[in-house]
Amino acid sequence: MKPFELIEHTADVGIKAWGSTLTELFENAARGMFIIITGEEYKPQGSEIEKKIEINENRDDLEGVLVSWLSELLYIFNREKIYFNNFKISSLNNNGIKAEASGINIDLYQNGLYKEIKAVTFHNLKIEEDVDGFSCTIIFDV
Amino acid sequence: MAQAWQGKLEKLDNFRWKIPQSYKPGMKVPGLIYANESLLPGIINDKASEQVANVSFLPGIVKYSLAMPDIHLGYGFPIGGVAATDPVNNGVIAPGGIGYDINCGVRLVRSDLILDDLKPRLETLVNALFNNIPSGVGSSGDIKASAKEEEDIFSKGAMWAIKKGYGVKEDLEFTEDKGSMEGADPSKVSVRAYERGKDQSGTLGSGNHFLEIQVIDEIYDGEKADIFGLFKGQITMMIHSGSRGLGYQICDDYVKSMAGCLNKYNINVPDRQLVCAPLDSGEGRAYLSAMKCAANYAWTNRQCLMHLARNVFEKVFNKSWNSLGLNLVYDVAHNIAKMEKHKVDGKERLLCVHRKGATRAFPPGHPDLPELYKKAGQPVIIPGDMGTFSYVLAGAEGSMQETFGSTCHGAGRCLSRSGAVKVCAGRNIDKELFNKSGIIVRAKTRTTLVEEAPEAYKDVSEVVNVVHGAGLSTKVARMRPLGVIKG
Repeated sequence: MKPFELIEHTADVGIKAWGSTLTELFENAARGMFIIITGEEYKPQGSEIEKKIEINENRDDLEGVLVSWLSELLYIFNREKIYFNNFKISSLNNNGIKAEASGINIDLYQNGLYKEIKAVTFHNLKIEEDVDGFSCTIIFDV
Repeated sequence: MAQAWQGKLEKLDNFRWKIPQSYKPGMKVPGLIYANESLLPGIINDKASEQVANVSFLPGIVKYSLAMPDIHLGYGFPIGGVAATDPVNNGVIAPGGIGYDINCGVRLVRSDLILDDLKPRLETLVNALFNNIPSGVGSSGDIKASAKEEEDIFSKGAMWAIKKGYGVKEDLEFTEDKGSMEGADPSKVSVRAYERGKDQSGTLGSGNHFLEIQVIDEIYDGEKADIFGLFKGQITMMIHSGSRGLGYQICDDYVKSMAGCLNKYNINVPDRQLVCAPLDSGEGRAYLSAMKCAANYAWTNRQCLMHLARNVFEKVFNKSWNSLGLNLVYDVAHNIAKMEKHKVDGKERLLCVHRKGATRAFPPGHPDLPELYKKAGQPVIIPGDMGTFSYVLAGAEGSMQETFGSTCHGAGRCLSRSGAVKVCAGRNIDKELFNKSGIIVRAKTRTTLVEEAPEAYKDVSEVVNVVHGAGLSTKVARMRPLGVIKG
């Protein structure tokens, strides 16, 4: 199973992500988002930083948790300049997520390698399940 | 998107195409797309029409879900979408109908310079602009505002910049809403949004944002051009930017927090990005007050950018900006919601007009216009792609009758960003532009250049001809780019 692929969108950028489990889907979606930012060839080098991420929403809304998860990573990336490339989700359900994400502390913009993602949208967002697992399409405002 | 839109567009005349209300159940009004035969295939190909139909689900929507000829696929609303909702008829406000870059917009600055004055110094000027105007992703600038000042920017808008000495009072006169919407409430802005907005005033940003030096190469309406202070051969400067991280975060916050409103107010929309709340509800009012903070911030940002650019002109020409005649023609918002008076079935109503990639285009005589422009109508600034033209239009009566005082906002994309990268593989866009048209382009990243290549955009002249032909706004002048800086 492919982890994710970039998809065409006239104004913005999207990914389709897959996962045999929901946890894997969420991890792959995060990977895809960071690939949008730098392109696939980018191999970050530098000291690794780890962040704990915990989101509790109590809305019984899995898509909402997915958008919050990606938005949170994006927020930390923008604020602290950490390029995340490793994700370990320890718990995930319709109300929240608990995870550890690690990445490299690097000012990508200084390296001219950066595509800005303004936001993660809810546009036509639906997490779907079939015999192989889970998938979803996420559109980012760039 | 590979598959074309499968719905049916009914041709009403050469400029108008209707999506009947019967297209899908739940539509409260028909859709209406402004286009011509040559723009139509592109519109059908990218499924933006489905988004026009989706917008017509919004409670309280009046007359039509509208789309301007620069329409293309967005999220929730199409880009180029206009929708007016009526608060007394359960009308809603939808953050997705404004977008993440709240009050993204353009301003046009004229000068007393002509091409011959500029030519010998063009490269120096473009380089100096590129070096002195903070651009690029997450860029922060020399114009700093303390936390208290940021609050001032939210509530007072561009006036903050004038008080700091970043411009003159007259600049406000020629800014939509005088650069400040009333009713902005900083307490409705989250801590995160505050944080993301900090230090980004006076920064251009990235993507399609730009600062462009241009020359007017065609005048269509001499009288209106005269009123706007424009003439053939004149050097102008266009600035395109928005509310930066602040706006993104405000939209993000409210799209999330309004999720519960759909159930609470029994609202049915086909796309979650269209979440909304009644205008007359706590949630709706809170969003509108926060949105106004971002709108005010964006006007301040463009004011600061113009100030920085004026400083650069002063250094390069060794003259004050005043004596170079660097006066603001007008500043327009193209991602915004406004409470405006419009006539519906002969009666005046106060409506919430959502403009998502659309420009206000008030006609001659409108009370909200600056005195000087009352006779000509509101200047509408339409940027094209970096290789072709930009336009100045004037608002016309047709916009009040049909589009809630709105018109197009730009060329509109026709290629996705990855599509543009494919088409332009291995090419040097900046070199090409220079060799072909003498246009000097400076960009922070090569990706931006390729994604924003002229081929990625529709023909802006076609777009402008549609709104002119439909009577929404009329052509006044056309500018050709000379130098462009991009984030």
